[in-house]
Amino acid sequence: MDTLVDINNVRKVYKRDAFEVPVLNGVTLEVPRGDFLALMGPSGSGKTTLLNLMAGIDRPTAGSIFVDGKEISRFSETQLASWRARHVGFIFQMYNLIPVLNAAENVELPLLLTKLSKKERREHVHAALGIVGLEDRSLHYPRQLSGGQEQRVAIARAIVTDPTLLVADEPTGDLDAKNAQETLDLLQRLNTEYQKTIVMVTHDPKAALHAKRTLHLEKGLLVNGYNLDTMASA
Amino acid sequence: MRFLKLIRRNLFRNKLRAILTMLLLAVIFFFVATLLAILDNFESFSNAGEGANRLVVQSAISLANLLPYAHEAKIRALPGVVDTAKLQWIGAYYKEKSNFFANFAIDVDKMPTVFDDYKVDPKELAAFQADRRGALVGVDLMKRFGWKIGDRITLKRQIFPFDPELTIRGTYVHPVQTTSVFFPIEYFDQSLPAQTRSEVGTIWVKVKDPKQMAAISQQIDAMFKNSDFPTETFTEKEFQQNFMSMMGNVKLLFTAVSTCAIFMVILLAAITMSMSARERVTEIAVLKAIGFEQRLILGIMLTEFILLTLIGGAIGSFGAHFLFLFVDAGKMTQGFLQNLGVHAKTLAVCMATAAGIGLIAGGLPALRASNLRVVDGLRRVV
Ligand SMILES: Nc1ncnc2c1ncn2[C@@H]1O[C@H](COP(=O)(O)OP(=O)(O)OP(=O)(O)O)[C@@H](O)[C@H]1O
Ligand SMILES: [Mg+2]
Repeated sequence: MDTLVDINNVRKVYKRDAFEVPVLNGVTLEVPRGDFLALMGPSGSGKTTLLNLMAGIDRPTAGSIFVDGKEISRFSETQLASWRARHVGFIFQMYNLIPVLNAAENVELPLLLTKLSKKERREHVHAALGIVGLEDRSLHYPRQLSGGQEQRVAIARAIVTDPTLLVADEPTGDLDAKNAQETLDLLQRLNTEYQKTIVMVTHDPKAALHAKRTLHLEKGLLVNGYNLDTMASA
Repeated sequence: MRFLKLIRRNLFRNKLRAILTMLLLAVIFFFVATLLAILDNFESFSNAGEGANRLVVQSAISLANLLPYAHEAKIRALPGVVDTAKLQWIGAYYKEKSNFFANFAIDVDKMPTVFDDYKVDPKELAAFQADRRGALVGVDLMKRFGWKIGDRITLKRQIFPFDPELTIRGTYVHPVQTTSVFFPIEYFDQSLPAQTRSEVGTIWVKVKDPKQMAAISQQIDAMFKNSDFPTETFTEKEFQQNFMSMMGNVKLLFTAVSTCAIFMVILLAAITMSMSARERVTEIAVLKAIGFEQRLILGIMLTEFILLTLIGGAIGSFGAHFLFLFVDAGKMTQGFLQNLGVHAKTLAVCMATAAGIGLIAGGLPALRASNLRVVDGLRRVV
């Protein structure tokens, strides 16, 4: 099996004034290419921290993280930034669209860091908005969109550069059941149809059912691995 | 630049705040540009005789004490002196006392030699020199009162006991002194009581070599040191500066006031900019997560802040520029500020200062925002 994310005995300690807060206490995890992994666990167990580490917006205190064969835990800030631009798509709980940019402009943002021409950028934006089914809203500003639509624009922004890895931190946490369902269906489609590797943090067991497998974190440790097969046969 | 749209949208994200900040800068820069224009005006006035190689001889006692005509011939005889001219400041006015302009009685024959920087049409000069009550008038003054050549004008007495009745025979062009009236000194002299005739306030000396100005100046004063009418000789520039010394330390005052104003603007702009940077902590974290590097974020934010102050500064200083282009400050100040204008140099200084304000006020907020750690920004713990 082709491993995309390879996390080895990763520890993360936050320093708060004189205190040291251990958050991850030796996590080892492999995410194969094409996986759709759900991370679950109680609040404060370190889910977001783990996700941030594999997405390269934070660095481990100890241990190593390889993504697509590159040891990103050794990268400098600048290296990480350009690596993220090419390899990671982010989806947040609060959508985090830029309010002064319309949907198309928000989706275009990551492309501004590439060498693509204006015309090529427009084509990519159009395609990404097409995948999430919002071509007709491309000129709407975030405040003119519903929460579900905002999240779909955010997903378009995350996939527009065709990243290697998609990370989603409670992508449905702020949505009603119907919009949550649509968002999860969309993520699932990105995984099956477009072979996107997705790691999703969620509190919602129903959301986790859309993933191929689910891992549980507790007090900074992975407890055990379930997957759909074991759950189905259970 | 592909990030310009983002910068522009961020600039006007909070419209009211952006507009108020720009207005504040506009008001301050209107004020500063105007002060600088006034200083420029004084400066150019005292530089009026620049390169004309002229000395001004006056009584060592005071400008109100006169010198005998006899002094002139002795001065003209000095080696290195090209020519001399008697000139008397009259201080008369036209119709209203508030119509402020300079008027002089002068040796009309010496206009071409001593005052060769005053450009006059040869025919008009001849007509002026031929009329013992002729007047030569600066072009801007002609415009101000709507005068034409051939018009008869009467100036009203203020210091000397006569009202000059003159016929305008010609106009002159000069880069700085554009609103004076000259008329023959003989007319002035004959209008005075017999015992005060043949005396004059200043004798202007045209010198051949500028390097000799200081030496000749000393020579003149030495020559009359023990006479009944001792002299004090200045370069034309010193003379004008003395004349303007009533302005006292205007330059210092203006500079101090402008500096205070700009300092205040920096503080206020810094407050606004750190507020607007703070509001965007999460967004900046998102941009960084997407892959925007620290330097890029810094550049984007600084550009925005500098644009903000540049636009405000431009509105203010160009506003002053165009206002003085279309509004005659000379008329508004009764001739006190002739040809007031915000010149290109002043505009450049204002724009550079405005950009500097953006850089200084926005530097720290932009740096802080761009150095934000992504995870902290996303958690909004800052
Ligand atoms: N930047 C930080 N500085 C200090 N402590 C931090 C920081 N980030 C996280 N922590 C601490 O680390 C622990 C784990 O945080 P994390 O956000 O990973 O939890 P989580 O599992 O995502 O929780 P939730 O389900 O509430 O989102 C928490 O106790 C949190 O207070
Ligand atoms: Mg979390």
